[in-house]
Amino acid sequence: MPTLELLNPREHGHLRLRAAGGQIPHFVQILAPEFLVAATCCPVLFTKNPETGVFYAGAMFGFKPGENLLGSEEERGGFQPLMLQREGFFLSEKHIAIDRENARFSEQEGEPLFDDAREPGKSLRAIQRTLGEIHAGLERTDAFIAEMNGLRLIEPIEISLRFDSAERLTLQGLYTVSLDRLRDIDDAAALRLFRAGHLQFAYSMAASLKHIPRLARLRERRQAIG
Amino acid sequence: MVQPVKDIVVVGGGTAGWLTAAVIAAKHRARMDAGFTVTLVESPTMPIIGVGEGTWPTLRSTLARIGVSETEFFRHCDAAFKQGARFAKWTTGAADDFYYHPLMLPQSFAQLNLAPHWLARDDGRSFCDAVCPQGRLCDDGLAPKTIATAEFEAVANYSYHLDAGKFATFLQKHCTERLGVRHLLADVQTVNLTPSGDIRSLTTPQAGDIAGDLFVDCTGFKALLIGETLGVPFRKCDDVLFCDRALAIQVPYASDAAPIASQTISTAQSSGWIWDIGLPARRGVGHVYSSRHISDDEAERELRDYLGGVGKDLPVRKLVIPAGHRETFWKRNCVAVGLAAGFLEPLEASAIVLIELSAKFIAEQMPVCREVMDLIAARFNSTTQYRWGRIIDFLKLHYVLTKRTDTPFWRDNLLPETIPDRLQDLLLLWSHQSPWFHDEFDRVEEVFPAASYQYVLYGMGFRTQVEPSMLSGDAKTAERAMRENAIQTERLRAGLPRHRDLIRKIVEHGMQAV
Repeated sequence: MPTLELLNPREHGHLRLRAAGGQIPHFVQILAPEFLVAATCCPVLFTKNPETGVFYAGAMFGFKPGENLLGSEEERGGFQPLMLQREGFFLSEKHIAIDRENARFSEQEGEPLFDDAREPGKSLRAIQRTLGEIHAGLERTDAFIAEMNGLRLIEPIEISLRFDSAERLTLQGLYTVSLDRLRDIDDAAALRLFRAGHLQFAYSMAASLKHIPRLARLRERRQAIG
Repeated sequence: MVQPVKDIVVVGGGTAGWLTAAVIAAKHRARMDAGFTVTLVESPTMPIIGVGEGTWPTLRSTLARIGVSETEFFRHCDAAFKQGARFAKWTTGAADDFYYHPLMLPQSFAQLNLAPHWLARDDGRSFCDAVCPQGRLCDDGLAPKTIATAEFEAVANYSYHLDAGKFATFLQKHCTERLGVRHLLADVQTVNLTPSGDIRSLTTPQAGDIAGDLFVDCTGFKALLIGETLGVPFRKCDDVLFCDRALAIQVPYASDAAPIASQTISTAQSSGWIWDIGLPARRGVGHVYSSRHISDDEAERELRDYLGGVGKDLPVRKLVIPAGHRETFWKRNCVAVGLAAGFLEPLEASAIVLIELSAKFIAEQMPVCREVMDLIAARFNSTTQYRWGRIIDFLKLHYVLTKRTDTPFWRDNLLPETIPDRLQDLLLLWSHQSPWFHDEFDRVEEVFPAASYQYVLYGMGFRTQVEPSMLSGDAKTAERAMRENAIQTERLRAGLPRHRDLIRKIVEHGMQAV
C-alpha cells in the first residue's frame, strides 16, 4: 500500500504532473458509465475481488498478466479507463490524496498542479473531474451489480483458447450477464432496469464478448510476427 | 373415489421437523395454490435436544434445494466448515495414534482403486495423505474454499459444523417466510384415529383439531405418533454399539482469534470417545460412553481431563442415548424422521444426513393418494432399514479394527457375537480385496461410500493382501494419480485461507451466488 498524503498547496505547491504512463495492466477495473465506450474496443467482464469475493467490472486488454494487446489509446479507439486517468490520485472522504512515490509527480517536468495563486491548475482540475466521475460511477456500478445479482443474472464464463503454437489458455473467475435469464425477467424488473440505464450496461457487456475471439486473433498474429 | 394426500402435518420443531418441512414444502411449493399444505406443530414448552452439530456434504445440496443462502446460513447458525473427522487413539491408544476420515474421494477414484497400490508401496505414508489433500488441509487449519468461491461450491469437499438450536430457528424463519409452511405452537393432547387405524387428527388446546393426510413424527425420543400411538416397537442395537450415555459441554475459546478446527476431533477414551467440534463462537465437546463399562462420574472425570481445565466451572449436560431404531419407519399414514426413527452414537455424524435422506424420499415419492401410500411406505421402510443397517456396520467397523485391549470396553467390542454377520463377511472379503465403488455399496444414495470404508480400514492399519501381478496393469496410472495428488495438495495448501479468516470474511462480505 502506498503512503498517501492529503493534497494541499502548502506542501505540494511545487509539484508538477506528468502524463499517466507505463504498462497498462491486462485487466483494468472500469465503471458502468464507461461500459458503452469500452465495449466498442474490448471485452467487459465481471470478476471477483480476491480479498472480499465482491464483484467488480473490468476491461480486458490481454489474456494474462503482463500482456496487453491494446496497448495504445489508438488501439483502444480512444478509450482510456478513468481508473488509469486518475493514477497517483485517491479520494479520501471528500479530499484528494496523492501517492508521492508515483512517477507521475515531478518537481521539474509536466504541468504544475497549482497555479501562482495556489489555486488548482488545469491538470489538477481535470483530475478533480475524473475523481468526481469515479465517485459517481462507483455508485452506479454498485447499484448495477446489486441489481444483476438480485435477479441472478450473473453467470460464470469459462474461456478456453487454443493457439497455433499449441499454447492453451483457460481463463477462469470471469463472469458476464446471462442474456437467456435477462429475457425471462418480469415486466416490472425490465422497466426498472431500463429506467436506471442498467439494460444498456447489460447489453453492452454481452455484446463485448465478441471481442474475445478478435483479441485471440490479434494475439495469434502478433506472435506469428514477433 | 380416491383419497388425495394434500395436507402434510409435521409434529416437532427440532432439526428433523423443520428440515423435513422445508424439503417437502420446497418440492411441492407449486402445488400450494391448489390446496397442498405443510403444517408444523410444535410444542411451546418442549425443549429440542439439539446436540447434533456435525453434518455430511449432502447438507450443501439440501440447503441449496430449499433455497437458503449459504451466507445467511453462516451468519445465523454459528456455522463452520467440516472437512472430515480426525480419529485419535482409536487404534493403539498411543499419544501419536490418529488418522483422518476426510470428505474428498481418493484421487481418480472413478478410474481406479488406489488402495492396493498404496498397500503394495508400504512406504510409511498414511493412506489419507497418499491419496487426498484433505488431511494436510486440516492439519494446517485451512478452509475448504476461498471467499471468491461461489456459495455451496467447494475447492475441497466439505460439510458443516453448526449450532443445532440456531439452525432450527433459521429453518423455521425460512419455512414460514419463504416456503409457505404453516407454524402452529400447540401441545398435542390426543391423537385421533380413523376406524381403519390411520391418524385422522391431533387435538390441541391452543389450535383445536389439526387434521392431516400424512403425519411426520419428529417428536424426538418420545416418538409420540409412531411409537406411543401406533405402537411400532423400538429395536435396540446396544449388543453391537455399546455407548448409551453422553455428557455434553460448551466451552469458550481462549481468544476471538483462536484457530477453528475444520474437522471433528474424535478421541477414544477408556470406555467410549470424546467429540470435539469447533464452531466460530465456541467448541462443543462431549463424552459418549457405555454405562455398562464406566460410571457417570468417571466419564465426567475423563471429559474434564480431556479439556485440561477449560470450562472447569461450566456444567455438563447428561443425555441418555439409546442405540437403536424403530422396527418400521412408515406405518399407515405416519412416517418417523429424526430421533423418533432412532438414534446412533454421533461417531460419523449420521443423524442429520438420515433426516435429509428421509425427507428427500418423502418429498420426491410423496404418495398422491392414500390408496398408494402403503406401497411407498414399503419402499421407504426397505430403503431406510438398509441405511440404518449400513450405518450400524460402519460405526462398528471403527471398534472392531482397534488393537486396544486396555479396558473391557475395547475387548468386549471384539467379541464375535457383537459383530453383525454382514460386517464379518465384509472383513473377510476385504482381507483379500479392498472395497471400491463397484463393490458392496451400490445404492443410489448410499450413506457411506466405499471411500469412507477405505479411509477407516487403512487409517486403522487394516491390511488387505495384495497380489503384485494384479497391480501391474494400472501401475502407471496409479503412479500418476499419486503424483497429481501431491501436486494438488501443495497447490491447495498455498492457496486456501485460514479457516477462521474465511468465516470472518463470509460474515462480513458474504459469498456470491455464482
